[in-house]
Formats: sequence, structure tokens, C-alpha cells
Amino acid sequence: MTGGKSMVTRRIWLGGAAGLAAGALLAPSRPRAEDAYILGTLFPMAGPNAEYGTIFTAGAEMALKHVAADKMLSRPLVLRAEDSEGTPQGGAVGMSKLVNVDRAVYVLIGFTGVSKAAAPIGARAKVVLVNGGGVGPDLAGLSPYYWNVIPLVPDEIKVLVPFLMARKLRRIALIYVNDPFGNGLLKSLKGDLTAAGGEIVTADAIAPTDQQFSAIAARIRTLSPDAVYFASYGAQQAEIIKQLRDAGISQQLLTYSAATIPSVRNLPEAEGLIFTNQAADWSADDPITKRFVADWRAAYHTDPTTYNQNYYNAVRLFALLAQQLEKSGKPVNGDNLRAALLATRRFPLVGGEGVFDDLCDISMKIVVNRYQDGKLVPIG
Amino acid sequence: MTAYLLNLAQLAAIFGLLSVSLNILIGYGGIFSVAHAVFFGLGAYAGAHVALDLFPDLLLAALASALIAGLLSAALALPALRVRGEYFVIASLGLQMLATTVFTEAQAITGGLGGLVGIPPPTLFGFTLADPLVFLFCCLAFLALALALVRQLMRGSFGRALMALRDSEMAAEALGKNVALIKTLAVVLGTAFAGIAGALFAFQEEFVNVESFTLDQSVLILAMVIIGGAGTLSGPLIGTLLLLLLPAALTFIPFIPPTDIGAVQQLIYGFAMTLLMIFRPAGLAGRAMGRR
Repeated sequence: MTGGKSMVTRRIWLGGAAGLAAGALLAPSRPRAEDAYILGTLFPMAGPNAEYGTIFTAGAEMALKHVAADKMLSRPLVLRAEDSEGTPQGGAVGMSKLVNVDRAVYVLIGFTGVSKAAAPIGARAKVVLVNGGGVGPDLAGLSPYYWNVIPLVPDEIKVLVPFLMARKLRRIALIYVNDPFGNGLLKSLKGDLTAAGGEIVTADAIAPTDQQFSAIAARIRTLSPDAVYFASYGAQQAEIIKQLRDAGISQQLLTYSAATIPSVRNLPEAEGLIFTNQAADWSADDPITKRFVADWRAAYHTDPTTYNQNYYNAVRLFALLAQQLEKSGKPVNGDNLRAALLATRRFPLVGGEGVFDDLCDISMKIVVNRYQDGKLVPIG
Repeated sequence: MTAYLLNLAQLAAIFGLLSVSLNILIGYGGIFSVAHAVFFGLGAYAGAHVALDLFPDLLLAALASALIAGLLSAALALPALRVRGEYFVIASLGLQMLATTVFTEAQAITGGLGGLVGIPPPTLFGFTLADPLVFLFCCLAFLALALALVRQLMRGSFGRALMALRDSEMAAEALGKNVALIKTLAVVLGTAFAGIAGALFAFQEEFVNVESFTLDQSVLILAMVIIGGAGTLSGPLIGTLLLLLLPAALTFIPFIPPTDIGAVQQLIYGFAMTLLMIFRPAGLAGRAMGRR
């Protein structure tokens, strides 16, 4: 009996060891650090936020093609993807693999919890992490090697409030996710709106996993605000819009750049939704934007989103910095990339010139848009 | 590669401790809790606060975490004394949901979804444990201590009484066993070890937030115990290694397009788990009695 049990256990251990050995053999022949620049991505690639992972990756992949076609770098730029699972633990494990196994020099990232878990690993290894998706103010200055290529939410509010005042939308009802992003937005909106003579008539905090908003909608309806601002992300946005409209709220709906995802854009109830995001004039004449938009339309038969733009820009930024370092004969590493970024500050990117501050955060032109017939139309 | 393997080994040791602690409840006590991540979280927040607000001493943090998780385990012990079986599963599910909300809302203590950042590397008697290999040995030492204690306890009168309760609570009570005391002690012991695992996790990640202590995490720990073999000493460890290392090994599969990597890995992972439960229902280290 005992012998049989120990035999089973031995078999299990041997099987496990064989499995690990097989895993090692299955590993692809990875380019050595001296052969290629490894670009990592650490996005949620399965589960409820996988839509974002797919959108983010698509932007990066197009930039890789353009960098290779333009022969911007002396070495190939290779993408290694890790699934962050949208959790801090998944982010830390994925980042550890990108840094220690894949030897990534530059990692694209999104989502607050994942960013905060991966940032210390990036800081220790001096590997640059670039966020193009999260807009929470707490993502600024997370580490010297953590950069943002997306304007953070206070920048969007600064542009929205004068627009609201001009349209006499002074009494705003707010629904916000109770996380650092949502709280940062509440603070910015409250401050800027009050200073401009407006007011927040109600501010309802929701959890990121909430699905039912009918009670909040019913209460907002009784308050008769001039407009309803919702600050959420992912699939929850569509639920909020639908349930507000179902509750008979006909007032103007407002939100921020997260509304650019297809699940919101294609929602019939999102018609007329007003939201801010960074300037994304796809008819712009500058050759970088023109090429990006033309190739995007050819590949996907639709307009790109600002997330596609941001992660394209993140990869383009790396190529520009690495090109600069190659020309000056310096190694491409986290310290030199950061020094080159702070020395240059202004970069020609999709959507116009991107200007970086001391924390390595971008500022770009912000515009107010409206969805009309499922299309994004700039209105202010 | 070494640093990556050390990182995985640290996580395996921490989750090994966590699954060994849940095995006390599920495997030996028959208390099917789906709220173990709550005590893991309590330990992590306690450890993080000791490190951030006092000093990052590993033993002090582990002690504080064990105390807080053990004391607050009354929240689990009370329903465990009143209901059992599927009713207890629902009660613990309620506790898990309640705790997730508290972790999210109590921002002054937990930092909410933003969490607690900048947890410094641990020290022990004034010596820093920043070296990943040294920290791994510390995690393994806690795991070995837990295994030795569980082994010793389960071979003694307490273990026999606990397993008697698991098999038939009424029969054990009829034989004069103090059901309330034995169940409470099992819950306190299991949750205290979960708290220590939480403190180690906080030092390992240098960041904690509520996303690590959700129902998904509780289900993962439960799966580690059941797949490995509940009620055995080595089962939870085998389950932990499998559930942590299989996803890690799957990331080495070549030629998966980046946008499909998550879905393909989840499919393979889910399929492997299903097959495993069909062919080894008592778990990898469990006796084959589940197979009829």
C-alpha cells in the first residue's frame, strides 16, 4: 500500500520534471540580446479585459512593421507578448519573465494594478515601461523608468469643463469607478467645475465589477442634471450607457477617452455621446499620421482608436530614441533611453508632436468629440 | 533566467504555504472555505503596514499577519460552527464578497484599488533579505515549518479528532469530542498560516491591492488543494506546483500570435485541468478511492 503510493508520487514528480523539460525544449529559439531589441507587451490577453489587450497589441504591431520597413534600427525589433491576466500577480510574473528570460529593453503596459506590480521590477532592472492605456493620475512618476504616452485624466478635464460651460451644461451628475483613476477624476472635475461656476449634483461611486446601475439611474433622473458624466472602462461602459438610457435619462452623456473602444462606439445608445480624448485627426496631413491611418484602414477596414495610436507611438518613440543612441554609439538600455528622452523632449508622433515632461509623461492636444452615426466627430 | 526561476520558486513557496494552510480546513477538517484569499489579504495588508509604518522585519511582519488573520478568523469560524457542507460554502462565499468590498472601500488602510506601493525589502535581525535566493530560503523555511507542524498535529489527538469531525461530526460529538473547539482551532491555525503567506507575498511583490485577494484567488487556492489531493501532506504542494508552473511553462510555447496568447493558454490549461479531474478525481497525490 505504502509502496504503491510512493510509486504514484514518484511517477508524478518524474512526470512533472519531464513536463518541465518538454516545456524547455518547446521554447522558441530566442534572439540573443546582441541580435535583436526585444520589445515586451504585458497586457490582459484573456478574460473580460482581453479586448484592450488586442487593441493595444494591434497598434504596437503596426509600428513594428513600419520601423522594420523604414530600417530605422540596425537590429531587428522583436515583440514578446506576456498575458498579465489583468492582475498584479500576473503582471509581476510576466514582467519578471520579460526582463529576466526575454531580456526585453522596453515593455508596453496598461492597467493600474499591473503597472504598480511591474514597476518595481522594471526599476530594479532599469527596463523602461510605457503606459498608453491607463489615465489615472497615480500613474505619473511611478518610477523613473515608467513613462506615459497617454495624457492623464486631469488634462482631459481641463479641456472638457470650458466646453461644458460654453454649452451651459453646469449641473453634472457623476458616476465613477471607485479606484485611483475614478477618484482622481472626481477631484479634477469637482475642482475645475466649481471654479468655472458649475457643480456636481451627485457623485456615485461604483465598483469596477458592478453590472446594475438602474437604482443610480433612477436617482439621477429625479435630480434632473444638465448632463451625466460616467468614468468607467471596459465592457462596463456599455452597461452604464444602456441602463441610463433605459431609465429614461435623455440628458447629454459625457465621458473620457476610454469610450473609443469598439464595444462603445458600435452601441446604438452611445449615439451623441460626448467625450474627450487626445487629438486624433485622422485626416491630418502630416506624413506620420497619414501613413498610420492609411495602413490601418487597409489592414482593418476601420478607423484606428486612440489606444492603437498610443501604442503605435510608444513603439515609434522607442525606435526614435534607439536610433538616436545608435548614432551616438551608446548602448540601448533604460538609463540611456531615459536620458535621450529627457534631452530631446519633443517627438514627431501620430496625432502631432508629443512633448514629455520631467516625469516622462506626454502632453498632447486634447479635443472634445461626439459619436455621430457610430463615428467619432471632433466638436471642440 | 535564474532571476525568473527564483521569482517563480518564491511564488510557489508562498502559494505552497497558502494551500497547505487551506488543506487544514478542507482536507483534514472538511471545512470547504472559498474565502481563504481573505486571510491571505489580511496578512498581506498587515505585513505591508508593518513594513511601511514600522520596520520591514520579516518575523515581526509574519507574526502580526498571523495574529490578525488568526483573530479575524472568527468571521469564518462562527458560520463553520453553525452550518456545514454546501451551506458553509455559501456562507464563506458571502464572507469573501464582503471582504473584497471592505478591501476596496477601506482606502485609508488598504489603499483601495490603488493598493499599497513601495513596500521595502524585508530584513531579519537587521540583515537585509533583498537577495532573491535568500528570500526564497526564508519562504521555504516558513513552508517547512508549516508542513512539519501540520504533520505532527495530524498524527496526534488533535488531527485524529479533526479528521473524525470531517468524516462524521455527529459520531465525533457522540464520542465526546469538543466540536466547537476543534473546528475553531483548525480555522485559527489555517488562517494564521494564510496570513503569514500574505506577509511573504507583500514583500515578494512590493505592492498589494485588492485584485490579489478576490474570489478568483480563493478558487485558485482551492483548486491547488483539490487537484493535488486534499487531506494529504504532499498533495497541496503538488497542486501548487502544477497550477503555478503549468501556466508559466505554457508561455514558452512558440508560434502563438501575441493577440491569441492568453486565449490559447487558457484553453490548454482548462483542458488539462478537466482531464486531470476525470482521470484522478482524488487529486494527484490522493488515494485512488475517488475512482469507482
